[in-house]
Amino acid sequence: MTVTTLEPAAPAPPEMAERVAQVAATAAEHAARTDREANFPVETLAAMRETGLLGLLVPTRYGGLGGGLRALLDASLTIGRADVSAAMILAMHCQQSAAITGHAGPRLREELLPRIAAGQLYLASVTTEAGTGGHLLSSDAELAADEGGLLIDRFAPIVTGGAHADGFLISMRGPDAASPSEVSLVYAHREQLRISRSGDWQPLGMRASHSVALRLAGRVPEDQVVGEHGGFSRIAGQVFGPLAHLGWSACWLGAASGALSRVLRMLREPASRARVNLSSELLLTRLSRARQRIDTVHALLRHTERMVDRATDLSTPPNQLLLNSLKITAAEQCHLVVEDLIDAVGMRHGYLRDSPTRLERTLRDLRSAALNYSNDRLHLADGRLALLDPEVRCA
Amino acid sequence: MDPRFTELLIPFLKHLRGRELTETSPLPALGLDSMQSIELLFAIEDTFGIALPDEDLNDATFATAGSLWGAVSAALAAEGGTVSAA
Repeated sequence: MTVTTLEPAAPAPPEMAERVAQVAATAAEHAARTDREANFPVETLAAMRETGLLGLLVPTRYGGLGGGLRALLDASLTIGRADVSAAMILAMHCQQSAAITGHAGPRLREELLPRIAAGQLYLASVTTEAGTGGHLLSSDAELAADEGGLLIDRFAPIVTGGAHADGFLISMRGPDAASPSEVSLVYAHREQLRISRSGDWQPLGMRASHSVALRLAGRVPEDQVVGEHGGFSRIAGQVFGPLAHLGWSACWLGAASGALSRVLRMLREPASRARVNLSSELLLTRLSRARQRIDTVHALLRHTERMVDRATDLSTPPNQLLLNSLKITAAEQCHLVVEDLIDAVGMRHGYLRDSPTRLERTLRDLRSAALNYSNDRLHLADGRLALLDPEVRCA
Repeated sequence: MDPRFTELLIPFLKHLRGRELTETSPLPALGLDSMQSIELLFAIEDTFGIALPDEDLNDATFATAGSLWGAVSAALAAEGGTVSAA
């Protein structure tokens, strides 16, 4: 991959699928409880540590699995089938590790990457701020610099896994920045910070993502800045943006595919075939529509993956438009897959929590997709980008 | 940089705050966001009577005052216009 500095997409080693399957099995085992309790899936995180999956994107020279974009998306699809919260936890951690691989200085890379590969360092990101409304590229919280290093004092309204992370990547306005647009990215170990949590976590869905509000304060050495001061927008454009849109879309597609798979298996059981009229044109049409949505998102995901692998400049309007279209389309269509399936199977298996189809939970989880970096905001950006491409050159 | 160029650029940079605009002035850090980039593009095209080629519409072009002026002056040269020295 030329832009995000991941290693080239090599065929996944055979054991990669086994590691992913092990994490997915653990996620499936605990998902009902972590959803009910709105608790972080600590057992699944432990499985990610033990299997080395936290080092999925870490280069092999640091002891990581050396996976590329394809490996990340395949893992997200598989784990997303079992528990989309767990899949998002891994995908977002991997974005953070890719930022360190591509942009941290040598000292910080040597310190952090072997620990990530060894499963000792689960990373959370602190890049949203009250008042910026999900807009990543400006910050009012300012780093202060003194002879002891950089002083961090930052409130963050949503930190996925923040109560369990071993380290944080934090975006803040750089010291002496001329404007709120000069945002720096800083790494901090958990033990370098005083962390206080505010508020409760009781969301509609994605309950196991445990995305709590935190205040972080502490002091870190100057060389824990990732990239140069003011360099966050470049890291966001080259790493966080593309990996977030691709990774999230893969998690949602995994969730929707899992939902369709469970419904189809149930319908094909002998007991169900005796009860349900499988030649119902309405049922067949609904199943078709769900499958059509999944194939559409899958094709768009793979096409966008190839674009990111090959692009030399992701900032061009056609490339940005494709990345945003993937996110918007995946968020809408994966949610609609579950809506279709609920209509297809009805009240008992579509609406009740204890159905083996798990449509009730999946619907709640996927309702967040359009809000997780809001589709409305992306449409505004895409309208502007469309104006910059009057020829309409599709990437 | 052409004074007509700096004159039309400065109102888009709300964080410039009276400081001097140079070729290395970073536009995003000085307040140029994506919506304003489009308005700036239209202003440039109207003022100079040129159209920037689509392949120039990327982050590198809008990185600094100098990189944007480079694209504008190249488009002016391509149209056979004259470019006055900065």
